[in-house]
Amino acid sequence: MRLTCTFLFSLTLLPAAPMEFNRDVRPILSDRCWACHGPDSVNRKANLRLDVEASARPKMAAMMARITSTNKALRMPPVYAGDGLTEVQIAMLKAWVEQGAPWQKHWSLIPPQRPATPAVRNAAWPKNDLDRFVLARLEKEGLAPAPTANSQTLARRVALDLTGLPPAPAEVDAFLNDTAPDAYEKYVDRLLASPRYGERMAARWLDAARYADTNGYQTDAERFMWRWRDWVIEAFNRNLRFDRFTIEQLAGDLLPNPTLDQLIATGFNRNHRGNGEGGSIPEEFLAEYHADRVETTSTVWMGLTMTCTRCHDHKYDPLTQKEFYQFTAFFNNLDEKGKVFKYGNSPPLIPAPTRAQQVDLARVDDAVKTARTTFESMVEARQSGQAAWEKTLTAGADWQPTRFQVNHFPLNAIEFDGVNFLDQGTGVGAFGFQNRFTVSVRIKPTAATGAIVSKSSDKEEQDGWGIYLKDGKLQVNLVQRWLDDCLRVESTVALPLHEWTHIAVSYDATRVAAGIKVYINGEPTRMRVIVDDLNQTFTTKEPFRIGAGNGFRFKGQISDLRIYERDLTPRDAAVLATNDSLAVAAQVPAALRSQAQTDKLAWAYLERFAAPEIRRAWADVRDTEHKRALFLEGLPTVMIMREREGAEPRPAFLLSRGAYDRPGERVQREVPASLPPLPAGAPRDRLALAKWLVNGEHPLTARVTVNRYWQMLFGTGIVKTVEDFGSQGEWPSHPELLDWLATEFVRTGWDIKATLKTIVMSATYQQSSRASWDLLRRDPENRLLARGTRLRLPAEMVRDQALAMSGLLVEELGGPSVKPYQPAGLWKELAGGADYQRDKGAALYRRSLYTYWKRAVPPPGMMAFDSAGREGCTVRETRTNTPLQALTLMNDETYLEAARKMAERILREGGATPAARIDYGFKLAVARAPRDRERTVLLASLHHHLDRYQTNRAEAERFLKQGESPLSEGLDRGELAAYTTLASMLLNLDEAVTKE
Amino acid sequence: MLDQTRRYFFSRMATGLGVPALASLMPAADIPAVPVVGPHFALKAKRVIYLFQSGGPSQMDLFDWKPGLANRRATELPDSIRKGQRLTGMTATQASFPVAPTMYKFAQHGQSGAWLSELLPNLAKVADKITFVKSMHTEAINHDPAVTFFQTGFQIAGRPSIGAWLAYGLGSENKDLPAFVVMVSQGTGSPADQPLYDRLWGAGFLPSKYQAVKFRSIGDPVLHIKNPDGLPADSRRRFIDDVNALNEIRFEEMGDPEIATRIAQYEMAFRMQSSVPELTDLSKEPDRVFELYGPESRKPGTFAANCLLARRLAERGVRFIQLFHRGWDQHNELPKRIPGPARDIDRASYGLITDLAERGMLDDTLIVWGGEFGRTVYCQGKLTADDYGRDHHPRCFTMWMAGGGIKPGVSYGETDDFSYNITADPVHVHDLHATILHCLGVDHLKLTYKFQGRHFRLTDVHGRVVKAILA
Repeated sequence: MRLTCTFLFSLTLLPAAPMEFNRDVRPILSDRCWACHGPDSVNRKANLRLDVEASARPKMAAMMARITSTNKALRMPPVYAGDGLTEVQIAMLKAWVEQGAPWQKHWSLIPPQRPATPAVRNAAWPKNDLDRFVLARLEKEGLAPAPTANSQTLARRVALDLTGLPPAPAEVDAFLNDTAPDAYEKYVDRLLASPRYGERMAARWLDAARYADTNGYQTDAERFMWRWRDWVIEAFNRNLRFDRFTIEQLAGDLLPNPTLDQLIATGFNRNHRGNGEGGSIPEEFLAEYHADRVETTSTVWMGLTMTCTRCHDHKYDPLTQKEFYQFTAFFNNLDEKGKVFKYGNSPPLIPAPTRAQQVDLARVDDAVKTARTTFESMVEARQSGQAAWEKTLTAGADWQPTRFQVNHFPLNAIEFDGVNFLDQGTGVGAFGFQNRFTVSVRIKPTAATGAIVSKSSDKEEQDGWGIYLKDGKLQVNLVQRWLDDCLRVESTVALPLHEWTHIAVSYDATRVAAGIKVYINGEPTRMRVIVDDLNQTFTTKEPFRIGAGNGFRFKGQISDLRIYERDLTPRDAAVLATNDSLAVAAQVPAALRSQAQTDKLAWAYLERFAAPEIRRAWADVRDTEHKRALFLEGLPTVMIMREREGAEPRPAFLLSRGAYDRPGERVQREVPASLPPLPAGAPRDRLALAKWLVNGEHPLTARVTVNRYWQMLFGTGIVKTVEDFGSQGEWPSHPELLDWLATEFVRTGWDIKATLKTIVMSATYQQSSRASWDLLRRDPENRLLARGTRLRLPAEMVRDQALAMSGLLVEELGGPSVKPYQPAGLWKELAGGADYQRDKGAALYRRSLYTYWKRAVPPPGMMAFDSAGREGCTVRETRTNTPLQALTLMNDETYLEAARKMAERILREGGATPAARIDYGFKLAVARAPRDRERTVLLASLHHHLDRYQTNRAEAERFLKQGESPLSEGLDRGELAAYTTLASMLLNLDEAVTKE
Repeated sequence: MLDQTRRYFFSRMATGLGVPALASLMPAADIPAVPVVGPHFALKAKRVIYLFQSGGPSQMDLFDWKPGLANRRATELPDSIRKGQRLTGMTATQASFPVAPTMYKFAQHGQSGAWLSELLPNLAKVADKITFVKSMHTEAINHDPAVTFFQTGFQIAGRPSIGAWLAYGLGSENKDLPAFVVMVSQGTGSPADQPLYDRLWGAGFLPSKYQAVKFRSIGDPVLHIKNPDGLPADSRRRFIDDVNALNEIRFEEMGDPEIATRIAQYEMAFRMQSSVPELTDLSKEPDRVFELYGPESRKPGTFAANCLLARRLAERGVRFIQLFHRGWDQHNELPKRIPGPARDIDRASYGLITDLAERGMLDDTLIVWGGEFGRTVYCQGKLTADDYGRDHHPRCFTMWMAGGGIKPGVSYGETDDFSYNITADPVHVHDLHATILHCLGVDHLKLTYKFQGRHFRLTDVHGRVVKAILA
């Protein structure tokens, strides 16, 4: 950082050069003065503001006196504030004050104006307008651009940049052999049209969106957001306009009649971590989720560090703490809990069928429709048949629903005396929190408190599930831990003593209290929720007990206990409850029958007594409907944004010091005052907010977005601090270029592919990345772009290209995340529980963006290469160069297997001589032929390893055992081992892991 | 890094140094040997061994002796003590909060007269070398935020860990080993007690090279440190020579200093391939040493074995060595479950202190022992004659320190009769951090890193060095 500042300074500060406030002065004042004399009103010292022109201007002389004072007690910044001002900084301030201290509003808050393209001397060089901005700056600095990179380098560079994969040798050749003037453009168009493009673009978006396959925090158990991830890939591939991309992800649910895709898109702001730790205080983490959405949204779309204002007014930028909480109010109105489900997705969520499943679902729907039509077509035969059958019913003829019934205990009104109970063994009622089930039973209690049925510990307030009477009221308890990990509900009315009552209780596996339905004598009854906080399953090793549980015993009689492995419907419950036998029901004239009587007669007839073709049609209806239900239950789900029911949004408050338990002033939805206002009259909701971001007049959205694309292609943004466009952020290296790109982005309809194409078609992008020592010394970070970018590949590309070169890569779009190679034990030693179960076959060779991302233990191969950790929003790309990277590339099974398969490929496809094979392998790795010197090193190395492995065949055999893929037959093992070493060397080359 | 590669770049220009000479210019894991900051003061400790006790050890069963509680057994915790302070969701709705006195006997030890529970008979022998801080407090009440707070100075994940801060600030003393090493052991208490996370020793927003390297007891001690079967060390040497030769050619052509760095990293990787196995091989340690740390120290992956490894890392100049031990989260059945982890740490901690002292290393090695919070005096669940459980308690708990820069034989801070609130000399998480940094000669106010426009510190905007416990 320090290097860069000095560097830019040395380029810009010519003697008596005019100071530009935003470029030269603001960074100094912001970094060294405003923490105490800036926007934060609470912590402001000496009531002095130096961030606002009106209050700063009269103090300029005093300020200069204080910053140059030799008296330590007077000198500013004070000693205790750390580093003081450098001589250069003081000189710059001095020059600025002498020049009249011209002031500017912070540049990034002024909407970009399309700048005129600057004049350049070397008019032959620019390929498009973009180049004129770069060249004008170079010419000002007295520098010349680098020559165009050679075609192989360019072919590899742009393929890696746009698809994240190296070009196949044949693709390189096709490009090289294409002599048309637009050969490069056609090549670029092919890359942009490749489905691999969407995957490449998604990788960075997933970092920004803190996407992962686990919930984070303590248990860090699995969640399922891959349908959202696949939406992102698809959106990039169909080149969804960035404004739509924005609106659908931030507020797709608020669009009129949102499509499934638009709902899935809103998963963006559900990707944050969720805490399900036992004992956690829900309000504390709810505040965390709201803040995370604000921080992520403001970083990704506005490059603003709004997170600083969570506890106090911003120290540097015109953002207040109140504005932070006004912004949270857009994101706090979900039906969500602060304590999320430990396992799986937490509401609000929707089933999110894949494209293939949507086709299947239509087929399943059709089957239901067909079955229904057939059944309906039999209406006459059915009615006459049933009428005739009813006449034949003799007294006592009866029927009960037995579909899905797994246990039936007739019990015959057995007596319980408050001591005795029936133990039915551990196999009965062995349900957990993800099982649907129903219990139907008749009771005649003589005491107001007792246990009816249970599969619980037989001690008070312990785990397990059970149905109880407590002071006459019916309680249903599904308990992992009595106080805070359970569903416990109680009827609002008491059951009568000394009378028979039918009870049905169903649970629909949703893990919420509303998923427990209770029917008394066939009528749904209202239940008071005692605890609605189930996070872990309630299975126990206890036996199923009738008349006992949780230390209670039943007094009275129990009869006709039935257990079903589905949650039965209200009509089912009514049929079970009715005391009327078939014969009795049949006595009632059809028009006067209750629903239960009608259903009971019809269902009994259709199931047991109708003509075979009618029975079959009825069975078809029920089977197809059941299959449909199972299909729906098996669909992947995705967490989405969905406003709470009802007109009143959840109130939002300014939280003092950011603490959830110190709410202050109530605040309304609003955007920060330093940004353009929301349109008057529009509803203040997320949709309005999303539209506001992309209305084309927002000063930040387009700039921040194109700047990230610039970073993606050049390694560093035009604004290096891609996450901070505020006062503490870095001044853009090419301000006019940034604004040109931003306005062009909006002008072309937020067209992402077009923007990327503009950049990669430029002469700037196509320069050679060779650096002269002189230029390196002058511009080590290549901010002036007098050469092409030479950058180590991002983590996922390092692995993906190894898979591609070896031919192992399985190119398949989307789907659940996969678990490729990873050293054993990494999950278990940290997280406990089950270890990482790696996949087999094709799943080992998918692109890395599909790799299962466990937040607590991220894939080590990705982390070694500086992948974002996915705990929170990350937009800045970082690169380090460490020995652990070398160890990974040399010894990780992933790369050793890739080397072996690459060696097989070299031997099969690379010609007959070692030299030819080396050339082929080299081209696979870096898309060019080796120089003579390089070939010499490789040949000598190959011979060395050949000698060794051909004399020590056992060693060769062992060496070839890496990875699961089979060894190609018909290859000499000694030779293959030597070529595997060669291929491994190629994968380890700096050039191979670098975009040149 | 840029500085070094530039230095290499220009020195190479001037002298024509070849690759082997280059290696000696590139220090460990690309972490500068030259400190980024400090030392701001005379440093007492050169390194830290931090024995993190994940789960929250019960202070009143181990250190914080409250003799008056025996008479209050099963009585309700007075409101005047609880003061309506928040509780976790696990006990907040409990109908009663009965006082559960410890069932362990306490005695005073050494000249300092430190009170210790019978669960810690070996630690008692070195009580005079230790400072007990009985007035630790934190703000977090659940494991994840609380451990994250201790590790990073912030409850929400994303900031650099203390070890990463020190690797960044002080650099490495060993060119063949990382500056920050982490080892994890399982407690004998309850095996899969509390999960840990790689991010706890991560670099946060610092460059990722400052994150800890995790030494493992199963598989490779450092991921991928071993060559594959069928590729012996001499082949690997040849391999690296050839890769580096090719990278040299590329470097000459492209002039990118990153290539020079990569060449150096391959050399470093090769050196690690021999230094790490040598380091983790305990076979040459004499029996006497195993005797110090206890028989468990012969079993790889135990806390005792990791303590012994910690000493070997300390000897080799690793800056920040952090051990994580688990098994302390005793919500129920505490009497059944606390002896295991207590045994795990008792002998091994004694061994580590003694071993370092005998080697003259205790003076410049700071040992820190403690968990993320303490436990409640009231019983979680049912209090019976021989059973009780304790919930998380952030308002007071005990940690101890020994060695470099710390005054030995002191008991610092006071708690009330219930070990519920602090009555004198509170020490916050930030204060502990400031104090640890101070012992290493680092002013916690000056160890900063600019991210998102702000100059971040480990101690955020807080922290106070606890001068009273400094030597």
